[in-house]
Amino acid sequence: MRLEMGTFPVTDIVFGRTTRYEAGRLTVDRDAVVAAVRQDPRIASAELELAKPGESVRIWPVRDVIEPRIKIEGPGVCYPGMCGREIATVGDGRTHRLAGMGVVEVSSVNWHDAGGDFVETYLDMSGPYGEMYPYRKLLNLCLVVEPDSTLNEEVKNYAVHKAALTVVDQLGEAVRRLTPPEREIFELAPVDPKLPKVVYIWCVHSPQAMSGSPSAFCTATYGLTQLTPPWYLHPNEILDGALTGPYRTAFAMSWTVANNPLLLDLYRRHGRDWNFLGVISLRTEWTTQTEKQLMANQTAKLAKQLGAQGAVVTWDAGGNEFIEVVRSIQACERLGIKTVFLTSEDDATDGAPTMLEPLPEADAIVSTSFFKNVTLGVPDAPAVTRVIGLPTKIVRRGSTIGLHGGVDGTALATAGPLPPPWRYDDHYGFGSLSCTE
Amino acid sequence: MISAIYNFALTTGANRVIRGARIEHVCGDPTLSPEKDYAFGMRIVTSALRTLTVAVPGPTLFDPMEAAHAS
Amino acid sequence: MGSPLRVVHYVNQFFGGVGGEDQAHVGVSARAGAIGPGRLLEKALGEDARVEATLVCGDNFASEREADAAFALGAELDRLKPDVLVAGPAFGSGRYGLACALVCQIAQAHGIPAITAMHPENPGASSARRGAYIVPTGASTTSMQAALDVLAPLARRLGRGDALGSAEVEGYMPRGARRVHDRGRPGYERALAMLLDKLHGRPYRSEVPYAPPERVSPAPPIADLSRARIAMVTTGGLVRKGNPDRQVSANAVRYHRHTVAELESLSPAEWEAYHAGYFNHIVNSNPNYILPLSFLRDLERQGKVGRVHEHIYALPGVSTPVAVSAAHGRSIAEDLRASGVDGALLVAT
Repeated sequence: MRLEMGTFPVTDIVFGRTTRYEAGRLTVDRDAVVAAVRQDPRIASAELELAKPGESVRIWPVRDVIEPRIKIEGPGVCYPGMCGREIATVGDGRTHRLAGMGVVEVSSVNWHDAGGDFVETYLDMSGPYGEMYPYRKLLNLCLVVEPDSTLNEEVKNYAVHKAALTVVDQLGEAVRRLTPPEREIFELAPVDPKLPKVVYIWCVHSPQAMSGSPSAFCTATYGLTQLTPPWYLHPNEILDGALTGPYRTAFAMSWTVANNPLLLDLYRRHGRDWNFLGVISLRTEWTTQTEKQLMANQTAKLAKQLGAQGAVVTWDAGGNEFIEVVRSIQACERLGIKTVFLTSEDDATDGAPTMLEPLPEADAIVSTSFFKNVTLGVPDAPAVTRVIGLPTKIVRRGSTIGLHGGVDGTALATAGPLPPPWRYDDHYGFGSLSCTE
Repeated sequence: MISAIYNFALTTGANRVIRGARIEHVCGDPTLSPEKDYAFGMRIVTSALRTLTVAVPGPTLFDPMEAAHAS
Repeated sequence: MGSPLRVVHYVNQFFGGVGGEDQAHVGVSARAGAIGPGRLLEKALGEDARVEATLVCGDNFASEREADAAFALGAELDRLKPDVLVAGPAFGSGRYGLACALVCQIAQAHGIPAITAMHPENPGASSARRGAYIVPTGASTTSMQAALDVLAPLARRLGRGDALGSAEVEGYMPRGARRVHDRGRPGYERALAMLLDKLHGRPYRSEVPYAPPERVSPAPPIADLSRARIAMVTTGGLVRKGNPDRQVSANAVRYHRHTVAELESLSPAEWEAYHAGYFNHIVNSNPNYILPLSFLRDLERQGKVGRVHEHIYALPGVSTPVAVSAAHGRSIAEDLRASGVDGALLVAT
């Protein structure tokens, strides 16, 4: 697979008569883009708003942030398989991307209606809370969208995410025929055989267990969110958006997956520091010990069969999902694959271990600090001048977890001081926060 | 302790651990007929009770599906 | 430099030259100077340090007559007033490790800094998480010198009144006092650097050290189930229907005790699950899946179980800090014990 990625840096976004890109400025024909979104009869309302770095703006509820990418040559479409998109294998040919911006999916639609799982994330474009995330450096084009309220929850999720992807496609068209100012070739060329072979084991939450549905909305692989055995992905497939869609945390958005610094550094140092073999994607939250161990065994086997001598492991979730992740690490180590685990930690009150099931084989851990905002001591985000999205946010206190959305909470004004969402969780190591004794 | 994710109970120090069916339905299986579901749940519960009558040296796993635990 | 460092060394009956297993019952005695491995310790401590005295105690005495051992050791330490107490190394010997942890605790209570060494899986090592300084060692005495090489410099500094740095830097077992720390480089860079170190056989240090689990002595078995009172506890988030007690769905600060004295079974009309960590709907149709009352009642009627205890305990077992969970557990256990319960079934989701 060989992918030529053409980057168009976006330095400003304005609304105007036609959607076009010129010398860094992206002009967006608001009416045309909204009209394209509203062609889907499942959409009840849609508006576009801009949030720029440094502004006193808060966006809520943030379901996803997506970087516009569009396929120019080669099979398939970017973000394949999502919301009915083509499922042809991607990663070959040419792709154009609009860098420095995000399309933000803002909607009141919740992930599913089985309970326990709520949309939590809001983003600030300035101030101490905003500083914690990479999005405040992006020019964010926000699609504030609501679906027909009579639809079932899964269809609502599909409709609003499809709407966001429609905006992505509309913007992508603006650079389809242009020459990109920056180009980079991505391929796993043959390298010095003495270089160590490494694989990236990328553990991704499946919503199947929590929602009771194999098709609930979440981060997806070619549109599939259900529990599946480990899946080999060429890194070019990730660059073309084959692994995409949000999880529940601010660092698990389509944008962070496509711009994962760990993946990019593994890729760019291929041939220099190692022989990068690719990505093994492991779905998590299987609900019996046998299934968890089976996935761990098969992940390690796949890595070994690919020839891996080393592996970096990340995950995006919490709770019992840790078990298949740490047991994959154990299984790899037992097959002689040296692993490094990049992860956050839990509360350590009273000297408790900060991992659910510490295993001695997980002996090389890089910590991105506590995953709960309350343990990190993150204060309330300060008041802002402008809100994009809903005017109130439900918070529920009374437990040190932070807050969950839910009908039995208190509604606070979005524009006022607001407690952070309960999880921070820097899954891919964007930041330098960690823990020590 | 009855749990479907029993290994982690063992590695964190629980001494009498009985394998449950699944996280969402620990003592039984709703995909079975009501009679079989109940019999399955009873098998899990009786083997759990039996472990209370047995000395164990440390964290020990008991599988209700093993013959020794047949009621 | 000043006066020599005054060290007291604690060893068990074997290292103290008293005898083997047959002498494990001996009480506390004090000998002048260093004995056995204490001589290696003294050498490792350096020129200006002396093992003034060695305290010897049988491993069984320390474990079976803990209060007496504590009293005697405390008295000796008060008399000797060392600058620092060094215990062990105990390596893999469990009773010895527990005794070393005990004497360190006593020393600290008497205002004397203390340090010991043992294998991370030694039951005594869990005391690290309660503030004891424990240097990790191999499982057997073949790692004696390596252990002393790490232990001795730390003992010197403690004896001189210096505070030790973080576990990560100094090499003692982490005491679990994790705190936020900016490492100045993004996590992904550190992960790839650690990978290269590991692949090329270079030393690396995990940012989260391995924490071996606590071991709990198993409760002795119930002699006769048909005369036993059995209770049920669940972490499946069982609540009364409608959640009138307003229990949260995760990170519970309290558990709830309900009475089931009049009930034959948990009915979906009266009970449901409220737990943020699993799909609750199946339990909502049959709450007995996470609290097996219907089964226990059947067995009670058949005479296979003596009595079903009238109280059940419920909380949502998800996202709860270990310390809070342990407190809930102790409280429930105390309640059960006070009620004369013989055994309990804990159902976890």
